[in-house]
Amino acid sequence: MLRCHTLPQCRLLAQPGAGAGVLRRRVAPGGTARWGAAPRVSGVEASSPSRAAVEGGERPSMAERLRLGSLLEDGLSYKESFIVRCYEVGINKTATVETIANLLQEVGCNHAQSVGFSTDGFATTTTMRELGLIWVTNRMHIEIYKYPAWGDVVEIETWCQEDGRIGTRRDWILKDLANGEVIGRATSKWVMMNQNTRRLQRVSDEVRDEVFVHCPKAPRLAFPEENNGSLKKIPIRTDPAEHSRLGLVPRRADLDMNQHVNNVTYIGWVLESIPQDIIDSHELQTITLDYRRECQHDDIVDSLTYIEEGEERCTNGSAFAAPHPEEQRQFLHCLRFAGNGHEINRGRTVWRKLAR
Amino acid sequence: MAGFLAASAFFPGPGSSPAASARSSKNATGELPENLSVRGIVAKPNPPPAALQVKAHAQALPKVNGTKVNLKTVNPDMEETVPHSAPKTFYNQLPDWSMLLAAITTIFLAAEKQWTLLDWKPKKPDMLVDTFGFGRIIQDGLVFRQNFMIRSYEIGADRTASIETLMNHLQETALNHVRTAGLLGDGFGATPEMSKRNLIWVVSKIQLLVEKYPAWGDMVQVDTWVAAAGKNGMRRDWHVRDYNSGQTILRATSVWVMMHKKTRRLSKMPDEVRAEIGPYFNDRSAITEEQGEKSVKTGDKLDGDATKQFIRKGLTPRWGDLDVNQHVNNVKYIGWILESAPISVLEKHELASMTLDYRKECGRDSMLQSLTTVSGECTSTGTKQQASAIKCDHLLQLESGADIVKAHTEWRPKRSHTAFERASDEIH
Repeated sequence: MLRCHTLPQCRLLAQPGAGAGVLRRRVAPGGTARWGAAPRVSGVEASSPSRAAVEGGERPSMAERLRLGSLLEDGLSYKESFIVRCYEVGINKTATVETIANLLQEVGCNHAQSVGFSTDGFATTTTMRELGLIWVTNRMHIEIYKYPAWGDVVEIETWCQEDGRIGTRRDWILKDLANGEVIGRATSKWVMMNQNTRRLQRVSDEVRDEVFVHCPKAPRLAFPEENNGSLKKIPIRTDPAEHSRLGLVPRRADLDMNQHVNNVTYIGWVLESIPQDIIDSHELQTITLDYRRECQHDDIVDSLTYIEEGEERCTNGSAFAAPHPEEQRQFLHCLRFAGNGHEINRGRTVWRKLAR
Repeated sequence: MAGFLAASAFFPGPGSSPAASARSSKNATGELPENLSVRGIVAKPNPPPAALQVKAHAQALPKVNGTKVNLKTVNPDMEETVPHSAPKTFYNQLPDWSMLLAAITTIFLAAEKQWTLLDWKPKKPDMLVDTFGFGRIIQDGLVFRQNFMIRSYEIGADRTASIETLMNHLQETALNHVRTAGLLGDGFGATPEMSKRNLIWVVSKIQLLVEKYPAWGDMVQVDTWVAAAGKNGMRRDWHVRDYNSGQTILRATSVWVMMHKKTRRLSKMPDEVRAEIGPYFNDRSAITEEQGEKSVKTGDKLDGDATKQFIRKGLTPRWGDLDVNQHVNNVKYIGWILESAPISVLEKHELASMTLDYRKECGRDSMLQSLTTVSGECTSTGTKQQASAIKCDHLLQLESGADIVKAHTEWRPKRSHTAFERASDEIH
C-alpha cells in the first residue's frame, strides 16, 4: 500500500489542454506536486516572463513575476532558490531536514506549474484524470552533506523521468547559491494508482505520451554512482527495537485536505525515536523512507529505531559521504500503527558526527 | 564632491554632519573609502561586517536620536521622498533649488549603488536581498520591512496561509530587524549587551487581528517596529499587508520581557541595553486601543448556549519544534492550542483575532494537554457578519498541571474563498 496523494479539487480545475499548440504547455511528469501537505490553489503558470507571453491569456501575478524559479534552457529541468528562514532552523542552528523536505516539495510543485500542468499543480494529465489515476510516492531518499543556516540561499534543481513501466521518479540537486557547492541530493519514486480502487496501474502508452514529454531522454540521475544508498533495500526487523517513541499523534497541521498525514510529518516521526545522545552529537546525513500505508488524524503511531551494523553499513564510495566510517551511525526505522502494529513506513537513516 | 557639500548644507547641525558621521564610520569600519560620504548619511541600513557592527552602530546613534534633521530619510527606499521629511530651517539656507536637486539625486543614486553593492554578509547574493531576502529599514530607520512569498507547504487545509505561517513571518522579521539594525548578539534576538549578561528576550503576550488570509503564491509585506513597554519591557508591533493590493492582512502587537538565560528569572532592563535599543523606539501602534478592546470584549451577551469544553491530551514536542536552546518555539503553541478546538469551528470559521498569554516555557520532555472552551455564539453589536462569531478560551498546560499558555480567540465565518475564485478564473 502506498502513500496516496489526491485532492478532490483536481476534478474541478480542468487541465488547460494537453492539446494546446505550444510545446511547453504539454504536461510533463512532476509527481512531487502532492508530496506534502499543500493543497493546490489556482494555476500560477508562467514562471518566466517569456513564458507568460507565450501562454497568452494567462495573467501572471506579481508573485509569479517575482518567483525566482524557472525552467532551464532545454526545458528539461527547473531551478529555484530559497532563503532559509529563522523558524526553519533547528537545534543545530541549521535548517532541519523537514525544512529541506518542504523545499523539495515546493520546488517540485513549482516545476509542475511551470511546465503547464493542470492548474491544480499535479502531474495528473487529462487522461489520468479521466481514468481516475493519481501519482503516489513510494520511496524518498534525501542526502544532505552540508546543512544551510539561517539566511543561506539554497538553489534547488529538479527534474523527473520515467522509471520502469509503472513509475516515474523525481530527482533534486541542492546547491549553496553563494558558492555553487552541492549541499544535498534527493530522489523519489512514484507510481500510478487508481484513486478509487487503490490499485497500482501500469503507465499506458497514452499517458506516457502525455506525461513524459518533458523529461530528459537520456537517464539523468541525482545518484548516478553504483550501489548508492537510494537503491538499497530496507529490511524488516523482527527483533525488539533498541529505541522507540510510542503514542505519536498527528496534529491538525500535519494533515492535508484529505485528512491524511503529509509525507514530511513521517520524517519528523522517524526522528522521534532517535536517542538524545545521537541528536546531540550527530547530524542526519541520509534518510530513506519507503511509504506503505496512510495515516489519519485519529491514528496513534509508534516510532521504532534499530541499530544497523555489519555489511549493511553504507559504503563510503561516494565523494560526498562522510569521510570516516567510524564517525557514522546507521539505523533502521519502522513507523507502525500503535493499535494493530501494521507498518506505515520503514526507513533508514545515516548520521555523521558533528564537528563540535 | 559637490554632492557632498550640498549634503552638508542640506543637513545642518553639528551632530548630524555627514563629515562627522563619515569620520566615525570610517573609524569603525576602516572600509569603503570611496563611498564614505554617502555612508555617513545612510549610516544604518547597511551595517558593516558583523565584527564591527556594534561599534558603527554606537557611533550612528547620537545622530539619529538627537536631531530632528533626520538622516534616515535619505535612504535608498524610493518610496520616501526627501522634501517630505525635510525640516523647515533648511529652506532658509538653501542657495538654489537646482543645486539641491542635483545633490539629492547624487545622494540617492550613490546610496542606491551603495545598497546594491554592499554585501554585509559575504554569502548573500545581491539580487535576493530586496525581493525575498532580509528586508530593509525604512521610514526614519524605525520601521523594518520584509516581503514573503507564501510557499506551498505553508498553506492550511482551506488553501490559505495558516496562522502559524503568519506568526512565523512575524518572528522572522523581528529577528531580521534586530540583525539589520546591528543589534544581534549571539543567539536569536538578544543584543550584544544582553548577551554579555546572559539575558534573553522572552515573549509574554501577543495579540493578533487578522483581516484577510493570504493564499499560496501571494506576496505579503511585513512592517515591524519596537517601542517601550513599561520600564523593563519592550513592545514589538507588526503590520502585514498584501504586497500587491496594500490591503491589511494582519496587525499584531507583542510584549517582551527580559530573562536571565541560566536562572530563568525575570530581569530589569540594564541601562546599557536601554541605550542600545532606545533609539529604535517608535510610538506607533499596530492595534489601536479601540481595536484591541473590540477583539477581547468580555462583556458580550452570550446566546444562552452552554459553554462546551474540549480537550486533547498527549501532545509532545518533536525535534522540529525546538529552537536552538531546545525550548519549544512559541509559534508552535498556537498549533497545540488549536488542537482542541472543535472541527465544527475550524471548518466553517476563520480566526479573526487571538490573544496569547505566555506563562511558562516547555522543552522536549514535556507532555501537554490542550483545552478549549467554546463560548457559543455571540450577539455583540456589529455588522451582520459577526452574527455567528464564536469566542473560545484556550489553555495549554502540562499534564502535571502548570499553565504554559492561555489564549482567547475569536472566529468569524469563513469569507468567500478568494483562492477559489481565483482558481475558477484561471480555468478560463
